[in-house]
Amino acid sequence: MTEDSLVDPLVTETAHRLFSEICDHESIQAAEARGQAPEIWNAFAETGFPWISIDEGAGGSGGSLLDALEVLRLVGYHAAPIPAAETGILGGWLLASSGQELPDGITTVVPNGGENATGSISGEEVLISGRALRVPWARIAERIVIPLAIEDQTVIASVDSAQCDIEPMTNMAGEPRDTVNFRNVRVPLALATPDVDLEAFRFRGALSRAALMAGAIEKMSQLTVSYTNDRVQFGRPVAKFQAVQQHLVWGAQDAALARMVAETAAREATRGAAQFEIAAAKLVANQAAARATKACHQAHGAMGMTQEYPLHHLSRRLWSWRKEYGGDAEWSKWLGQVAVSRGADQLYPLITGGSAALN
Amino acid sequence: MRFTPTELTDAELNLQREVREFLSDELPPGSHEPCLGMAARKDKDFSLKMAARGWVGMALPKEWGGSDRTAVDRFIVVEEMLRWGAPVGHHWVADRQTGNVILKFGTEEQRERFLPAICRGELGFSIGMSEPDSGSDLASVSTKAERASDGWIINGTKIWTSGAHENDWFVCLLRTSPMEDGNKHAGLSQLLIDLKAPGLEISPIPFLDGSHHFNEVTFNEVFVPDTNVVGDLGMGWHQNTTEMAYERGGPDRWLSPFSTVEQLLREAHGTELEDTVTELFGELVARWWGIRNLSLSVARLIDTGEAPSVESSLVKEMGTRYEQEVIEKLVHLIDLEYSPDSESLFERLLAQCVVTFPGNTIRGGTIEILRSVASKGLKGLPT
Repeated sequence: MTEDSLVDPLVTETAHRLFSEICDHESIQAAEARGQAPEIWNAFAETGFPWISIDEGAGGSGGSLLDALEVLRLVGYHAAPIPAAETGILGGWLLASSGQELPDGITTVVPNGGENATGSISGEEVLISGRALRVPWARIAERIVIPLAIEDQTVIASVDSAQCDIEPMTNMAGEPRDTVNFRNVRVPLALATPDVDLEAFRFRGALSRAALMAGAIEKMSQLTVSYTNDRVQFGRPVAKFQAVQQHLVWGAQDAALARMVAETAAREATRGAAQFEIAAAKLVANQAAARATKACHQAHGAMGMTQEYPLHHLSRRLWSWRKEYGGDAEWSKWLGQVAVSRGADQLYPLITGGSAALN
Repeated sequence: MRFTPTELTDAELNLQREVREFLSDELPPGSHEPCLGMAARKDKDFSLKMAARGWVGMALPKEWGGSDRTAVDRFIVVEEMLRWGAPVGHHWVADRQTGNVILKFGTEEQRERFLPAICRGELGFSIGMSEPDSGSDLASVSTKAERASDGWIINGTKIWTSGAHENDWFVCLLRTSPMEDGNKHAGLSQLLIDLKAPGLEISPIPFLDGSHHFNEVTFNEVFVPDTNVVGDLGMGWHQNTTEMAYERGGPDRWLSPFSTVEQLLREAHGTELEDTVTELFGELVARWWGIRNLSLSVARLIDTGEAPSVESSLVKEMGTRYEQEVIEKLVHLIDLEYSPDSESLFERLLAQCVVTFPGNTIRGGTIEILRSVASKGLKGLPT
């Protein structure tokens, strides 16, 4: 293994410890009721974690994309109710790539780019209008970032949230996915560097979700193993029953699979173009989430269906993340077109070589 | 449990290239009838050619005829052979497990006698575990080896013995001392038996499609010399468990349907594919990539000296189910009436998969047994 493929162990350790201390069942539950978790966010932001992988010169915390994705994996593992991906590797990345200032507070992004919001260039300004749907945590964001394709250019609009109308909406996990109305807001024109466009943003969004999902599936699998070893029925732990072992094993497999694909995609994305790995990682994570939530819920019985037991913090997030930045159909089609266009003889070399085989 | 992502080094990529070149020459794509994974044809000439390249028994030490290569190197060779549908049946068992067992537990004389011949691709081995009354409950085997002067006399029956009618040797798990109450794992030993020995009778158990893989092997006062006992007497259970770790989690557990999928793409060339078929290719490629990475990480772990038995059981359980899922997806999407004598190679392969793949989650330990092995290992993990 080369240097660039290793996560800084201090990042893992510190983030894990931080979330273990501040992000428990009650605080996640409370965040859902309030639509925000300022204590968790503030403690997280204080460490500089949100801005890992963004150059210090651009207002970030430095470090690698690999480290940033490791933090996201732990955000998923602890079901931390915070806009970590939006502030950092998505919104922060777009701002830095267009030479714009990073705010001290929360940044969010309009996930579907210009589909719902539109922009037109007028001199040195961009005029934004429209209604953007499912914008994560918009209600607590300082800046709302919209990547737009205008006249063959990628424009990164950074809008002050105070200038927008925000209607609170949520995802299946009760996390904010707000509707944002832009009424002819004027922002300075800022163009992204050539490597950043709407397609690159789509892939990066998928990469962020794959990391979050890997963490959540792993935690869900661990909860299931411990619950079924504690729960006694017919005089023995239910984990002793072959029918239950099936669920434990399936959950553990999907946890391992999702983590493997997320970490492999993270490694390749840290090095450069990683379209194959990201597309495959998101698709595999989506399907792993579907199977693992089913298996883990079944193994928990009725307890897993209650609010008082923490399984739902993970399963509901997974069901939401599965649909964000590309569901199963979008990524299987993208990958299928790549595979089919390369033909039979190159099918296996694609599986072993990934993006490196695409050139 | 931890599967650490790994990737191939430049030297390993060179080996991969070398194997691909060899296969392109020997079995040009589209020109041969691919085998479906490890249930491959026995073609001794092909095994000898592979061995001449140093690709049989390659992880065994040089002093015994091997190449001192790593588990990852062997993974690369096996992966390429299987995805190509190469006829690796003759040396398969010896290469995957018997060589390791003899190296690890055998005497110097046994290593001398068997390992160089294995590495030359000459010897074919069968495995003798199941009996008429012992399947998943393997420790209940009752075929007896009884003391004789300078050796043992065997009586009993082994079943589901793949390839006994073609192979040279039989590695058998036998009861060398009577079963003790409460310790059925004691008293078992592994013996190497010549499949041509007097008193040993091999009769076919036709496979569901009429083909001949399985056999029943009956021992009637078969003499086996002391020099053919592998390892310590009574340690057979431990040795056998170790051996099974080698046969789990490798590419043979997730690549069996690959040549069928590849052939579909080959035959579809030039036609407009329906979206659902294109999406299926995307799904398959992604999942194979993911499972391969898990399986490769197990090989890497073995090279660091670990015995990743939980990890390899998880991969095998998942991989073999995936093999069946691939075929079910093809069957669901492809509206053809395929059969083993269809004109199209893809259809022939698909028909063969449909008929034989129920066995994939049974052979080498049922997935139910694997789940029990794996779930015990999952307990006690941090939460």
